[in-house]
Amino acid sequence: MSPLDRTLQPASGAIRHFDFPEVERRPLSQGLDLRVARLSRLPMVSVNLFFRAGEAGLSDEWAGLAVLTGDALEGGTKRRSGSALAEALESIGARTGVTTGWEGTSVALSCLADRLEEAMPLLIETMREPDFPEDEVDRVREQQLAALRQRKMDPGALASDEATRRYFAAGQPYARGQGGTEESVGAATTDAMRGYVESNYRPEGGGLVVVGDLDPDEVEVLAERYLSEWRGAPPAVVDFDPRPPKQERAIFVVDRPGSVQSEIRVGHVGASRSTPDYFALSIGNMLLGGTFTSRLNLNLREKNGFTYGVRSSFGFRSRPGPFQVSTAVGSEVTADAVRETLFEMQHLVEGGATEDEVAAARDYSAGIFGLQLETAGQIGSRLSQILMHGLDDDYYHRYRDNVRGVTTEQVSAAVRAHMRPDEVQIVVVGDAEAVVGPLQELGVGSVTVV
Amino acid sequence: MVGAIQLDPKEPGVSRLTIPIERHRLDNGLKVVLSQDRTVPVVAVNLWYGVGSRNETEGKTGFAHLFEHMMFQGSQHVSKNGHFEMVERAGGSLNGSTWFDRTNYYETLPSHELELALWLESDRLGFMLPAMDQDKLDNQKDVVKNEKRQRYDNQPYGDWDERLQALVYPKGHPYHHPVIGSMEDIDAATLEDVASFFETFYLPNNAVITLAGDFDSGEALGLINQYFADIPRGADVPPLAKDPTVAPLIGETVRQIVVSDVPLPRVIMAFRIPPFSSDDFAVAEVAQALLGQGRAARLYRRLVRERRVAKSVVSYAFPLLSGASMLLVWATGYPGMEHQALEAAIAEEVEDLRNAETAEVERAIALTETDLVRALERVSERADLLSAFELHFDDPDRVNRELDRLRAVSVDQIRAFADSHLGPDNRAVLIYDPKESS
Repeated sequence: MSPLDRTLQPASGAIRHFDFPEVERRPLSQGLDLRVARLSRLPMVSVNLFFRAGEAGLSDEWAGLAVLTGDALEGGTKRRSGSALAEALESIGARTGVTTGWEGTSVALSCLADRLEEAMPLLIETMREPDFPEDEVDRVREQQLAALRQRKMDPGALASDEATRRYFAAGQPYARGQGGTEESVGAATTDAMRGYVESNYRPEGGGLVVVGDLDPDEVEVLAERYLSEWRGAPPAVVDFDPRPPKQERAIFVVDRPGSVQSEIRVGHVGASRSTPDYFALSIGNMLLGGTFTSRLNLNLREKNGFTYGVRSSFGFRSRPGPFQVSTAVGSEVTADAVRETLFEMQHLVEGGATEDEVAAARDYSAGIFGLQLETAGQIGSRLSQILMHGLDDDYYHRYRDNVRGVTTEQVSAAVRAHMRPDEVQIVVVGDAEAVVGPLQELGVGSVTVV
Repeated sequence: MVGAIQLDPKEPGVSRLTIPIERHRLDNGLKVVLSQDRTVPVVAVNLWYGVGSRNETEGKTGFAHLFEHMMFQGSQHVSKNGHFEMVERAGGSLNGSTWFDRTNYYETLPSHELELALWLESDRLGFMLPAMDQDKLDNQKDVVKNEKRQRYDNQPYGDWDERLQALVYPKGHPYHHPVIGSMEDIDAATLEDVASFFETFYLPNNAVITLAGDFDSGEALGLINQYFADIPRGADVPPLAKDPTVAPLIGETVRQIVVSDVPLPRVIMAFRIPPFSSDDFAVAEVAQALLGQGRAARLYRRLVRERRVAKSVVSYAFPLLSGASMLLVWATGYPGMEHQALEAAIAEEVEDLRNAETAEVERAIALTETDLVRALERVSERADLLSAFELHFDDPDRVNRELDRLRAVSVDQIRAFADSHLGPDNRAVLIYDPKESS
């Protein structure tokens, strides 16, 4: 063996090809879209039942009803109390969870493979036969009110909530928090939840994803047995445009006297999940603030030591979601951090991306995708995204090719089209006395203490 | 092929863990654990060093963690941030973390990039100091101070662990101070401190490297030898500067009330328990699961669902090695609630573990089992557990016996544990009470 030369990065070995698992589509007799993937590494199963009961379909008056209804499912069914339901699931080692977002509700289950036959009917009972007893519904409302109070005193959550209001057109769903407001939470009564389930917990536009060490035929039999009566479509979501009229760049300071740090959000409305720029824009975001070695993190953290970390992100939703840079910095460097953030955005938009950083981001993105196909839960979540956003059946099979096909020109063009440094709304939660003066001196926009 | 975990065909929900484990030791003392799984083309590289905040001396708190940051600032053959750049470019993920008893560093990569991780990890173990300079240290001090501000100082309840540790462990005990350390000590750190810490603790004879996932064992061992074998063994690691000996119980109820800008009252109740290395730790783990794992568990059922005195509950048994470990239970109340009522409600539930029943023990084990198997689906988690058990117990195969260890706990042991460890003679209670103005 030749002596080791430590000055050289070792060459890569031979790539082992690995495909996204094969997915079988087995539409059920009543119309439900069932997708099954066999993954027999370990004896685990992951189940995701997705349907279009989402917050984007609710007016301000009812904001939070979808989330609270999802939360209250664990309050029990017509057959058993909440505690009895939890006991039945946990005694077979099954975990369930409900996630509600803008697009819909996901009811999920994770268990050992040989418990699926017992656990699946319990999951379906939770969703199909909820009872919403008064005391459980009261509890869920009280918990949500307490959570809203917590968000107001958590500087990071406070900054994100204020920024959300600033980015989106007033009165559109995305301009509010997903869990509703102090006023709207009160409207989520037992009757409201029962009515909501009756009209919105419907299979059309959703589907059932089951992944793991399983036999697709048996899964189909289970699904037919327990979901044959589930039919119908939820009301269509009234279309909306979350984009506000053109905005001037502006700074809003939420005073939190004595804060040792400032929570900063810089952003505006971004792009929808269906944008043709999806891959190029994702790569563009990655090199701006999506990885440790992104431009923003190398500047704000590794060069200047302003922060523990900074990230940028696009929230891709059915309509354009937020584009946002988030960080927390020492109070004394707040204005410096805002200046550098704007510089990096401007520099990327005007100067475009470089070949090398696009190649690095492509490699990262394609590689990390392969690392995230280890578990039943990871694959189940991906397949749920196909249902949620109406992606092609072979979307994940072609994913890496799509990532690798992105060019530097496409990234630069996507960034120019979707990042607008002149229009960003800047929210700072911090000690106004310390930060307002330096922010005004920056001269990048009006400064308002809200 | 037979997977690393199988279900018992006769008994539903009973799994047998047969994760393959191969152990080696290099001449310089580096311990090597290999656990092959070729089902997905992913490899996890995981190093545990036997150094954590417990090894810090007076005036140097937070140093183990600051040092961990410096390990990402480059080494003789790797530029500042080169470690992140190369691993991200290879499509991998990476990080490190510092805790009471250890510091770990890990990469998860597409398996054809295994050698990259070995090169990077060996360069910072063997050749870190030539790359250190004052600018890098000043920069990372600023980063760490901002980490402390973000996670602790600017966060409601953010200082809970610092306060709780000081209540559970006496002054002078290795666990008395928090891992993040104090701003003053972080400020005072010098390049000489970095060098001396490196030379004392970052030695092959104080480390474990574990590979889990897709590799050929013979080739992998060859590569590990190639990259690590020429790094010289160092002196034995010195014993802890602080005496870890501590009475098994706190001896009373110590209570601290913090009136601060928090949104909701919160009561954290902690108990000294036998150390992680003790056989009795399993009893504490299962007792903890009866209290706080899942929605059928006692705290959620009683405090959140039935009595509605808590918005949320948490329980955790810290796996700590030195002297005594710690079990904690916390409950966050609703606005306007008296903290005394919340504390009394928690006390009632922990004391009622005296009446624990077999069914709830079985339920807790079933849930723990699924959680463990789910965690082990990921090679990164597998590697981390193997490193832990090798470093702490010279016994990586313990991962395959984890469930047996917990299943062996009887309901009588839980009841006795409630009597011996959860009473008023062994409690530290930390109370956050919202300011009037909040």
